[in-house]
Amino acid sequence: MIQSRPYEFMVKYTPQKEWIERRGILLWLAFFFIELGAGMFFVSSFYSEKWAALTGWLICAVLGGGTHLLYLGHPTRFWRMLISSGWKKSWISRGLFFVSAFLLLGAIHIGLLFADTNMMPLMIAVDVFAFLTIIYGGFAMNYVNGIPLWNTALLPILYVVSGLWGGAEVTLAMSLAMGTDTIGPSVEEWIRILLMGFILIMAVYLVSVRYGSKAGEVSIKEIAFGKWARLFWIVVVLLGIAMPAAVVITSFSVGLEATPVPLIYIAVLCGLLGDLATRYLILRVGFYHPLVPSSVYTY
Amino acid sequence: MRLGMAIEMKRCIGCNACVLACKAEHFLMPGVLWNRVIVSESGKYPVVSKHIYPVRCNHCAEARCVDVCPAGATQQRDDGIVWIDDAKCVGCRYCMMACPYQVRVFYSGENEEYFPGQGLTEPEKLGQKLFPHQKNVVEKCNFCMERIDAGLAAGLKPGVDRDCTPACVIACPTKALHFGDMDDPYSEVTMLVKEKRGRQFHPEYGTDPSTFYID
Repeated sequence: MIQSRPYEFMVKYTPQKEWIERRGILLWLAFFFIELGAGMFFVSSFYSEKWAALTGWLICAVLGGGTHLLYLGHPTRFWRMLISSGWKKSWISRGLFFVSAFLLLGAIHIGLLFADTNMMPLMIAVDVFAFLTIIYGGFAMNYVNGIPLWNTALLPILYVVSGLWGGAEVTLAMSLAMGTDTIGPSVEEWIRILLMGFILIMAVYLVSVRYGSKAGEVSIKEIAFGKWARLFWIVVVLLGIAMPAAVVITSFSVGLEATPVPLIYIAVLCGLLGDLATRYLILRVGFYHPLVPSSVYTY
Repeated sequence: MRLGMAIEMKRCIGCNACVLACKAEHFLMPGVLWNRVIVSESGKYPVVSKHIYPVRCNHCAEARCVDVCPAGATQQRDDGIVWIDDAKCVGCRYCMMACPYQVRVFYSGENEEYFPGQGLTEPEKLGQKLFPHQKNVVEKCNFCMERIDAGLAAGLKPGVDRDCTPACVIACPTKALHFGDMDDPYSEVTMLVKEKRGRQFHPEYGTDPSTFYID
């Protein structure tokens, strides 16, 4: 992209663009689908829910893997990430290894589930790789020490919780839709715990980044009061947190069976939208510190 | 040998000769800059300071871009030069994220012509033959390693002999840029850094840059 004033580059707090603008938008979707799919597989594997596991696997492989590949400048060279020694230090390389192992072992596990067989050691191995698949994106971003919003240990935890939460939500929705809602109350417990965890970690994450550094403060102000405030308050807080929380409280009070099913679907949809918006904001307002002293600190 | 650069801030007049020299040396496309001269102001009227910083890849000893590259495309040579093998780059741009100095650029191939819609000029055509740039890969300053390699092969000394020195250093009209072997205690660049207390750019990132700024 041609910059009209190249001499002002990195003079102010500068947001990263490569991982969110133009083709970068695919990476945002890739992280979402990879973690949602792996989260869905992880949760459903505890209940031997073969259709939910298959759906999670497909979301991860087709949507997650596909968008990941489309994002790359040279998708046909992706194999280099597997054969290079990059995995020693690069989280992207490690991530590809985790995703590949998860998809390979996961395919075998799903095949066995459809044959009404469940090998416990295999399931444990697949779940370990599913968990690593969920967490690697957070670690990849956490390694970037120039962006305080990302460079925090809370980010991988937030991504794990949101990945598992989203996975549990879709698993519940699928079980209700397919009439196999015997697992519903149990998955609902997952959702309750993960939702509470998400709210708590999200709050601690935002506050810690806000007071951690000046660039972090700029990022949080941009999220809460700046250009992206509407997206944060309406989609993340209202739809993504308050709406699912209200349904969770309702089902906790009256029981899952008495909770209207359309309301649960709406809550699941809102939760996923909130997760997407959260990830978008984290990528969008990742600000770097200015390189040079300047009085002009506005974005 | 650890090749490095010292930049005397008081000498820099912000003329951008280094930027143009780099563009000419590597036939860089429109919008692609391997080095920049960034200008800022601090303070309040009437006490105002103007800061002019020539910036380029710092060729950090602890380069985070090398660590994060999943394909092994970003590599570090024994002389400290960090370079990108564009035949290996997958275009994931993780290195761009990891660089706290933001000195890398992604060339998407969208802007090839300096005169849009009028085709390539003769120098641009020549550039595509002499220094072909791959599309959809990350690029950055390589300390003119082609010049250095050719110079070393001819028995020349980096930073001393013109043909073994980066183009930006040669082009600087005020001699604000100095280049040489940081491991040689008697090289001009090492002496300058020691005598004038050169400081690394944002050492808090823990990357141990090979570029030093002298106030």
